Amino acid sequence: MARGFGDLEAVVMDRLWAREGATTVREVFEDLLHDREIAYTTVMSTMDNLHRKGWLSRERQGKAYLYVPSMTRAQYSAQLMRDALDVGGRSDLVLAHFLEQISDDESAALRKVLRRLASRKGAR
Amino acid sequence: MSVAVCLLLYGAVVCVVAPRLLPYLTRGGSAPGAAVAVWLIVVATVLASWAAAAAALAVHVARTWNRPDPLALAACLAQVRSAVAGHNGLAMQAGLLVPALVLSAFVVVLAARVGRSLVSARARSRRHAESARIVGRRVAGVDGLVVDAPQKMAYCLGGRPGTVVITSAAVAALQRPHLNAVLAHERAHLAGRHHLLLTATRALAASLPRMRLFTVAHAEVARLLEMCADDTAARRHGTAALLSAILTLAGANPIPATALGATSVGVSARVSRLTDPDTAARRLGARVLLAAFSGVIVAAPLLAVWASTSGFPACGPFTA
Repeated sequence: MARGFGDLEAVVMDRLWAREGATTVREVFEDLLHDREIAYTTVMSTMDNLHRKGWLSRERQGKAYLYVPSMTRAQYSAQLMRDALDVGGRSDLVLAHFLEQISDDESAALRKVLRRLASRKGAR
Repeated sequence: MSVAVCLLLYGAVVCVVAPRLLPYLTRGGSAPGAAVAVWLIVVATVLASWAAAAAALAVHVARTWNRPDPLALAACLAQVRSAVAGHNGLAMQAGLLVPALVLSAFVVVLAARVGRSLVSARARSRRHAESARIVGRRVAGVDGLVVDAPQKMAYCLGGRPGTVVITSAAVAALQRPHLNAVLAHERAHLAGRHHLLLTATRALAASLPRMRLFTVAHAEVARLLEMCADDTAARRHGTAALLSAILTLAGANPIPATALGATSVGVSARVSRLTDPDTAARRLGARVLLAAFSGVIVAAPLLAVWASTSGFPACGPFTA
């Protein structure tokens, strides 16, 4: 797996979603050390970035920050899907769906094709 | 002068004829790649003819500015009147300068709108891809990001690197070979840089929503690119796997209707051409027809410009 900086954001969010409650940078850092060699400052700046982008909320406790995901993974997933499905509304998002929406006309036409297919198979 | 009029007339004719004739020629999806190319040629030719007409008109105004010739002006007015009648009633009254300004302003505003649309599409796509990379899971054997969601769907986003997103519901619904066909379809979009074409045609359609040519061009290019990606996926994983995948995911989730009129990318047409593939002869026939069409589209304005600059009275009937 690639280990770009953006990838680290995904890994950190993954850890935070898996944990219960608020977490310090040190806890995440120690958690990550099991799997990879990584600098404390890298983890700190990654979490700072995630906070700046709105993925993490934080509050100061003593000298350290306590981080907690702003939304659950499920909430973010739902938001992402809403964004993906809003294509062509007022949005500027360009993406190629495997299948676009099927209108009533279209699904009637599709059923017709399938019937034709079925009858052709039956005739063989 | 008559160059500009000829070009504008030509653009108008293409705007009326192409969105009615070309979908008919490319309906069956034979040679979808060639069909996409022809759509792009048509759109580019119309844009080029507008820009060239604006330039020709501006040059003409600049040349005749210092030596107003009442006779020439009257002749020009008659030409402009006949050219823009029905398009722009006000400009008709106001002499030559106004249409020149209007046309140039139109071209500049259009370019600015398209540019803005492209920039914002890029930013949106990048943000969405970043979110997908954080939210999505990497699942062994799935060449894409898996997002937990009840909707069964798959899509891809341009950018570097491109991103393929598939929902957990779609992964669960699809058998492994079918899943691979879906992912190959999305990868084909990315490899073919289809999103760049879609972004461009979408920007044009959004900038000039009343121009049927651009809205139809966007919808048709989107439809044909799906067929191109289908062909690649079918070559790699077999038609049967791809068809099963389409049928598994078809009608799975209600996607809100799109504003651009591209409500569906012709799923039944995609299924039809996969179940009943074209013969080589039919593909060749489609290619010849498309080549002839684009030949006429490109040659006509060049001929018209040549004819009007060389004094050949080809534009006579229009400009007199």
